[in-house]
Amino acid sequence: MQVEVSRRKFLQGSVTLSIVGASAVSTTNLFSGEEASEHKSTQSGIPSTITTKTSTKKAENVPYLCGICVNKCAGFARVEDGIVTKLNPNPYFPKSRNMLCARGNAGIQTMYDPDRLKYPMIRIGERGDGKYKRVSWEEAYDAILNGTDKFKGIKQILDEEKDNRATIGYCNGEGLSKEGFEVLVGEKIGSPNYVDEISICLETTLGGYVNTIGTYGEADLNNADYLIIAGANRAEAIITPDTMDLFKRTKGRGLKTIVLDPRFTNTAAKADRWYAVNPGTDLAFVLALTYVVLTEELYDKDFASKHMDGFEDYKQHIISKGYTPQWAEKFTNIPAKEIYKTAREFMAARSPIYYQGRRSVFSKNDFQLRRAMAIFQGLSGNLDKKGGIVYGKKLGLPKEDINSPMYAQVQPRFDKEGIAIPSLKTGSWIVFRNMVLEGKAPYPVRAMFMRKHNPMSGVPNTKKTEAFLRKMDLNVMIDILPSDTTMFADVVLPEASYLERTSPVASYGGLEPAIVQRKAAVKPLFETKVPEQIYKELAEKLSKPLWEITQKYDEDVQDDTKGMSAEEIEKYYKENGFDLAEPWEKTVHEQNEEKIVEAFGKEAWEALEEKGVYYPNMDKYYQQLNPNEFQYYPENKKNYSVKGDTLKVVVNFKNLAKKGVDPMPTWRDDMAFSVPEGKFRLVTGRHAQFTQSGTTNNMMLRDLIPTNYIWINNKKCEQMGIKFGDKVEVKSNIGKVTIMAYPTNKIAPNQIFMLHGFGGSSEQMEFATGNGANDALLIEDKIEPVYGAAVMHETNVEIRKV
Amino acid sequence: MARYGMALDYKNCINCKACEVACKEENGVLLGADKHRIWVGVNELEGEWPNIALSSSVFMPSQCQHCDNAPCQEVCPTNATYYDENHVVRVDVDKCILCSYCVEACPYGARYEDPRTVTMDKCTFCSDTRLARGETTTACQNTCPTKVRTFGDLDDPNSEISQLLRNREHFSLKANLGTKPKLFYLM
Repeated sequence: MQVEVSRRKFLQGSVTLSIVGASAVSTTNLFSGEEASEHKSTQSGIPSTITTKTSTKKAENVPYLCGICVNKCAGFARVEDGIVTKLNPNPYFPKSRNMLCARGNAGIQTMYDPDRLKYPMIRIGERGDGKYKRVSWEEAYDAILNGTDKFKGIKQILDEEKDNRATIGYCNGEGLSKEGFEVLVGEKIGSPNYVDEISICLETTLGGYVNTIGTYGEADLNNADYLIIAGANRAEAIITPDTMDLFKRTKGRGLKTIVLDPRFTNTAAKADRWYAVNPGTDLAFVLALTYVVLTEELYDKDFASKHMDGFEDYKQHIISKGYTPQWAEKFTNIPAKEIYKTAREFMAARSPIYYQGRRSVFSKNDFQLRRAMAIFQGLSGNLDKKGGIVYGKKLGLPKEDINSPMYAQVQPRFDKEGIAIPSLKTGSWIVFRNMVLEGKAPYPVRAMFMRKHNPMSGVPNTKKTEAFLRKMDLNVMIDILPSDTTMFADVVLPEASYLERTSPVASYGGLEPAIVQRKAAVKPLFETKVPEQIYKELAEKLSKPLWEITQKYDEDVQDDTKGMSAEEIEKYYKENGFDLAEPWEKTVHEQNEEKIVEAFGKEAWEALEEKGVYYPNMDKYYQQLNPNEFQYYPENKKNYSVKGDTLKVVVNFKNLAKKGVDPMPTWRDDMAFSVPEGKFRLVTGRHAQFTQSGTTNNMMLRDLIPTNYIWINNKKCEQMGIKFGDKVEVKSNIGKVTIMAYPTNKIAPNQIFMLHGFGGSSEQMEFATGNGANDALLIEDKIEPVYGAAVMHETNVEIRKV
Repeated sequence: MARYGMALDYKNCINCKACEVACKEENGVLLGADKHRIWVGVNELEGEWPNIALSSSVFMPSQCQHCDNAPCQEVCPTNATYYDENHVVRVDVDKCILCSYCVEACPYGARYEDPRTVTMDKCTFCSDTRLARGETTTACQNTCPTKVRTFGDLDDPNSEISQLLRNREHFSLKANLGTKPKLFYLM
């Protein structure tokens, strides 16, 4: 066999804009800072070149957890003379099994990014114009409390709102320090108005699975022999261990793989069969699979009678509705005979898995889709067993007691419009933002506390997000890079990146559970601080002045403290949790040690400190099998089956009906896919060489994937006279962008695709600004009806060559 | 003294480019689209939507083949390109005059210009970084999510790579040219 692929062909194929390492970096603004430009730094701790060849000298190897995406792989940072020269995978962590992806390797460039936020800053110009003044940390905290001549401080706002803490909204991206931010703004300061990233992420997937089989679970891809993977792109949206296990066994090597995706992805490239399903119609496919399995009685009857609640109702429902493959064909673009074949193969397989997926919510029926998938998995009986979707175990860590104060004046959250089951804690980004913007909030929301989150790029309809941020009296941002959203902050607090901080220990459950610790490889660069230190110092600054406002307006506190002496009031303040800084009396590292020693003893702590990973019996179980493979748990100690008789699949979920949600997955007419003549359905997605807007300024990754293109069907392009690299205007009902064209046979004639995360507008990010197009400018702010999560694939666009 | 080679379970490759980044960070390779020691070749997909020929979608991870009969070594006028004691094809920075004969001679496109060291550089199997420190894997092997690569001593019958090559069918790229590559693609 000969495979001819030359390097030159590769170069032609991947259209590249070369970013020369030494290209000029603007040094005229505060963000870039003279000392970091071009990496020609005189400050110690900054490498003099972009990539640094590792030396043969002795180096320190510090265990850390990757933070470049949400997955959390473990690594060792090689530190030479105070500089991180290389990130290597950590073989001890069962979840990531000695691997780091391209992004993980490029994490060095995020830490040493010349555009990093380096000092605290306060806004001196107008919002969005990028004019800031470098200040001390104390001045920054003071500006949050007392404001400046440009913006109001939180003290004045809360005084005017009579201590209604709900006037503060807050948001936070995923990460190990997220909980601390929730403690600070939610538990301690008392805001109920949290908008978590989950409502622009996988909320319905989690909700659908948890409400059906009691868990999201882990797909045991190492031992499965048949896989349907729909709308999940594990080759390009890497999740461990799934990505690692899956692709070692595709292509006739033990794991038959059926991929459903509107576009031909790198995952489809590895499939035995690829079905170009119409966007948003996977539910019809699963219902038809179910129909075949029920009418032909291919399901696991024993499992169904023992573990499936409402099985008979569902059987009757599916058959009476006539969800035949022929019915599904017209919605899905998948031939009926292929649906029959897939259903029969799935049930005939020893260990079939319909992969749960982990992605944004794409269509309005996503919650029902996930329920239907989970039930279908149940019909195979391949749950809670080797080769199936497993529940696994998690190693428990001691819970922290948070002494949360009670505020009588705080109003409840309101972002419930159009939502059947509003989440009390995490909210709906779109509904919250839109209700505030449209004046529908029952009280004024006047301040946003934000951390590591970029809603200008992540939440559909950027114009509305901008208007929302402009409406605030105070915006505070804690981040590492000057994102598009940071440009609307009044006070900017620079955070240490994940290689510069020790993070709270985390427990990862599953087949092979473990506990991991991220240790700081180097000290925080510039004047940045670790997040927990920022929480502590900000809490110390705000605590007493905010307590005074509570004393002024809170009748419960007034009643309680009536007649108390100053000392007694001080005692009351501390005992009732009004001392905001109390959770951070100890450093993260000290808290980690305390927790681990308490739960697992001193040796566990020593293992964590040295290896970054701990699980009981690790010293006995862990073995390197060959240069590429490791044993973490012996086969008979893996948690394949843990549920026994308690295993339950909720098929007919009657309580949902009370909320106006179908109690069993049901196809509705408005779920059909249709695109008006002359328009295209916008499909968006991820890529293995960048993580949304968070890495668009990373020089190494920019080198690999310089910009995003719009994928347009090649035949369509011929008709429209569009060639590769042509500029195309893409227009939806809410906005338009210009982007370069990529004609391809990998997408349908009535659909277009663009990578999410590009098109940043922050001029302070030298490499990201104006590069490609931001899909959030196009995606209409529609929600799905169960949780109010953003739906990403229900926008039609027009395109024209410009 | 060893004879180093690499076996590639290329069907595992998902074109994620972890190897390329790990290589650049380990060996201080400059940025730039034309500057890399390691790459993944991608075929043109055959067929039209939605009937793409799945067999045409192949990812071919590649790098210097460390040929036993290396054309780049043969044409080098200054003997800058040489075989080191482990049969790894290396470049002597002091001798290279950037004549680029090696670039023309190499059938695999594995040589590139590094303007910083002023060398027609190439993959070294991490000889002057990881191997020099006593490590036993290359950066590309170690980081790979799907574990495409196995690096090792072909002369040691007990090495992992020797066992793999004994037990699995494999092929070399452009074997007809007689270059005798030490990269082996596992079937």
